[in-house]
Amino acid sequence: MTTDELERLLAQQPLGVLHRLARGRVHRHFRAGKRRLIELLLRHSAENRAGFESDLLALISEREARPAIQPVRHQRSERPKTSQPGHRLHSAQHEPDHHEPAASLAAWLEGIGVPLPQPFVPDPWQEDALAKLQSGDVIVSVPTGSGKTYVAVEAARRAMDENRTVIYTSPLKALSNTKYTEFCRIFGADRVGILTGDRRDNGQAPLLIMTTEILRNLLYDAAGGEIDVRLDTLGLVILDESQYLADPERGVVWEETIIFCPTQARLLLLSASIGNPHDIADWLTSIRSTPCHLIKHSKRTVPLRAGYLHPDGKLTPLFRTIGIPYGHPVHLHPEAKRLFARYEDETMPSGRRR
Amino acid sequence: MPPSIHPVDLIIALRQKHLTPAIVFLTSRRACDEAMESFEHTQSFLPPARQEMIGKVLRAVIDQYPSIAEHPLIPTVQRIGVAAHHAGHLPSWKIAVEELMRNGCLDAVFATTTLAAGVDFPARTVVITQSSIRKARDFTDLTIGEVQQIAGRAGRRGKDLVGFAIVTPSPYIDLTVLTKGLTGHPEAINSQFVISYPMVLNLLKAHPLDQIQPILAKSFAQFQLNQRAEVLERKLDELHRQLEPYGPRVCTDWISQWQLFDHVRRQRTHRTPVRRNEPPEVAARFHFLTPGRVAGLSKSRGVVLRQYRSKGQKSPMVTLLRHGGAITECPAAIVTEVFDHMLDCAEAPVYPWCTPESIESMLRDLEELPPRLPVLPILVPKDELIPDSIVQTLGDFSCPTCPSRSACQKDHAHASKLRQEQHRHTKAIQALRTSLWHRFQEKIDALQRFGYLSPTAHLTDTGEWARLIRIDHSLLITELVRADAFTGASPALLAAVMSSIAHDDDRPGAFPRISTGLASLLAQVRKLAESLSPYEDPPLLRADIAAITEQWIGDPTLTWIGLCKKTTMAEGDIYRLLARTLEFLSQLHTLRDTHPALADCASQAIAILRRGVLEELP
Repeated sequence: MTTDELERLLAQQPLGVLHRLARGRVHRHFRAGKRRLIELLLRHSAENRAGFESDLLALISEREARPAIQPVRHQRSERPKTSQPGHRLHSAQHEPDHHEPAASLAAWLEGIGVPLPQPFVPDPWQEDALAKLQSGDVIVSVPTGSGKTYVAVEAARRAMDENRTVIYTSPLKALSNTKYTEFCRIFGADRVGILTGDRRDNGQAPLLIMTTEILRNLLYDAAGGEIDVRLDTLGLVILDESQYLADPERGVVWEETIIFCPTQARLLLLSASIGNPHDIADWLTSIRSTPCHLIKHSKRTVPLRAGYLHPDGKLTPLFRTIGIPYGHPVHLHPEAKRLFARYEDETMPSGRRR
Repeated sequence: MPPSIHPVDLIIALRQKHLTPAIVFLTSRRACDEAMESFEHTQSFLPPARQEMIGKVLRAVIDQYPSIAEHPLIPTVQRIGVAAHHAGHLPSWKIAVEELMRNGCLDAVFATTTLAAGVDFPARTVVITQSSIRKARDFTDLTIGEVQQIAGRAGRRGKDLVGFAIVTPSPYIDLTVLTKGLTGHPEAINSQFVISYPMVLNLLKAHPLDQIQPILAKSFAQFQLNQRAEVLERKLDELHRQLEPYGPRVCTDWISQWQLFDHVRRQRTHRTPVRRNEPPEVAARFHFLTPGRVAGLSKSRGVVLRQYRSKGQKSPMVTLLRHGGAITECPAAIVTEVFDHMLDCAEAPVYPWCTPESIESMLRDLEELPPRLPVLPILVPKDELIPDSIVQTLGDFSCPTCPSRSACQKDHAHASKLRQEQHRHTKAIQALRTSLWHRFQEKIDALQRFGYLSPTAHLTDTGEWARLIRIDHSLLITELVRADAFTGASPALLAAVMSSIAHDDDRPGAFPRISTGLASLLAQVRKLAESLSPYEDPPLLRADIAAITEQWIGDPTLTWIGLCKKTTMAEGDIYRLLARTLEFLSQLHTLRDTHPALADCASQAIAILRRGVLEELP
């Protein structure tokens, strides 16, 4: 597409599409009128023309597809009026039922407490991740607080038992420090080292902790012929918080690290829940010599409940159900709904209602 | 009703329902600090046994990091059992808070949502007070992933049976963002691959140019671009299928044929041409045939007295003064050459169009002109727009009499739309497949222009050392080194400039005075950064920030407290600034083989910089 064509195409789009396109691209885009917005978008598009164009095309095709969906939506919203009890009951079996009374506060609060001390038994997915690591790279995408650290520690222990070097990277220096303390406690201070830009504590240890940038630099040095750390005995690279791959400023460092990671080393990517872990697994499989296994689940180890606390101190459940109704954001608790509506009425300046 | 719950009431409510320990995510650092202040005057002290426990844990951390021994928040933390944890604090203080949390000593921690990822400790409850966070300079809604990251801190494995995420409203909260975030499926992540100068240099150091494209193809960016290209390819196949019934007819490419015909047909009806039968060179010359101009005729020369268009034919005419004094009216076409020579001509409104004196002088001048005169270079415009010439030959189109005319007319709109889309997709696919490589080549061009790469894309001697600088604004830094900007600079000056390059926050504040030496050096740096702006975004280069680093390095006896008193910048920010400066300096230190003086200066600066608080953590 030439710039003229692009400009013409943009000019044909309604303002709403342009604003959606400008989101994340143009600073304070909502301030700009149509002509100005097109100008800004064109200026921005110079940086990543292909991405911009395909986003635009995606939005256009989405818009074209919409008229086909809207009538269906209409039907759906009309359906409750022309109630079909038999049909509704049938479909409601899987969903939390709307007619079931909403959870009471007492029931919601029930069960707070400390579990009885139990011997630690690793979860099946943790065992699975460790087993799969024997035959290839592994990416773990599980909710926060599910026990990713256990996988990292066990994987590191097994690799060190085979006399291989392990590198553990985290995105933040603060997290590196925390992990350093933690790993020293587990493996003993003599087996853990930490590398920063200008300092090297126990750099000969079999388990090295560093930020991802430092590892990237090591890999570049190695590629340039200056072997520094014993990269040839490197057996395992653990990249914690791999969802940083999508960080606008630093994401590229994760990609570089993964691309240049030596082939004989296994990669273990630990990530919070993300939407497309299979994409990353496919990508790793396509560029590395061993297949990449995806370990993924969305079940939290400790169940979560959501509540609503009104500024006057009144606490109610946020959703109708005790747990969180995954996939049903509209199943709000009537009490929470009422309180929040009152809150909005009182705090919104008049005439500026949502 | 208050716009949001008071922190003290919040903690009381949570304690009542046994929902502590809790992490309370607030909008800003200021909100966290104000929450802590509001506890200073409450009387809800912890029982002595717990106060003692907090004291014990704190003492253990202070033994390791003495810098926080005098921290102003310690009394509140110990008495009430709440703490604040945000980027404005020293890392060692954050470690202390995390340690307290892990030991279950605290009831609540106030943290900023911005740093949710850095809050790596769990609690029974998290309290969410907002639905948007400040990113760069804008407030953006929390993504589903971010809401789940925040809510994920609730519920400690092995210590809680259930975790709680509690929403409490504050102004501008959007409840749907949070409910969607809690119940939804996290967003897909996208590659943020950018090609930087150090990347280009390091890749070319290790691989020849012709191997680069396969390496770029290994990136997640290309993987995702390919995914998008595949989607487009599928659409393209679909378009191909839809275009099948519109294959060749009487003419092979009937779509463009009809389009052209249609276009021409429309244009013609709208046109009321003013047609002049003059050849283009005459039209071009006519503008130059002004009074006094010497014009060449087929056999002699003449001087133009006036130009006009004949009344009947509108054809261009000139009045010429010829050798011997004859004044003739002739068509402009008889002028064969226009000379770059003017004679003085006093114009008159009536025949003979100029004063008799000037006719005499012009005749004289005409006689005395040299036999060869320079000719005016007159550009003769090419034929007019192509469509026009086609308009003239509308009779050449076979469409009006073609047997498939009606079919073409009917199908044209749909078919041409499909074909346009096909072209657009084909181009988009090509762009997706090659965009990374093009971006890489752009960087190569820039590096060649600056002399880091040879014309064959090999590293020059400069490139060999420049590739070791792998930080933001690397081009500016290497150019500064090449320009010898730091020759003779003291370690304090060097570190100060580095910190102004490293710092990318525009938070305002009060700062110490800046020395004249640093000011003039920074002016130089700013000039260079501006000249590099087409190739690299210039850093903020704040002089006030540089002054902090200058004071810290320039005066080795300065204590941390003393430094903090000189500015309103938060302790944690100063720490981060110095830590980042350290990183930049250590990159300069890697140039010790080629720039020993500079590397030496950098290592001196590092040695002075690493003292007090900055020595505590690796």
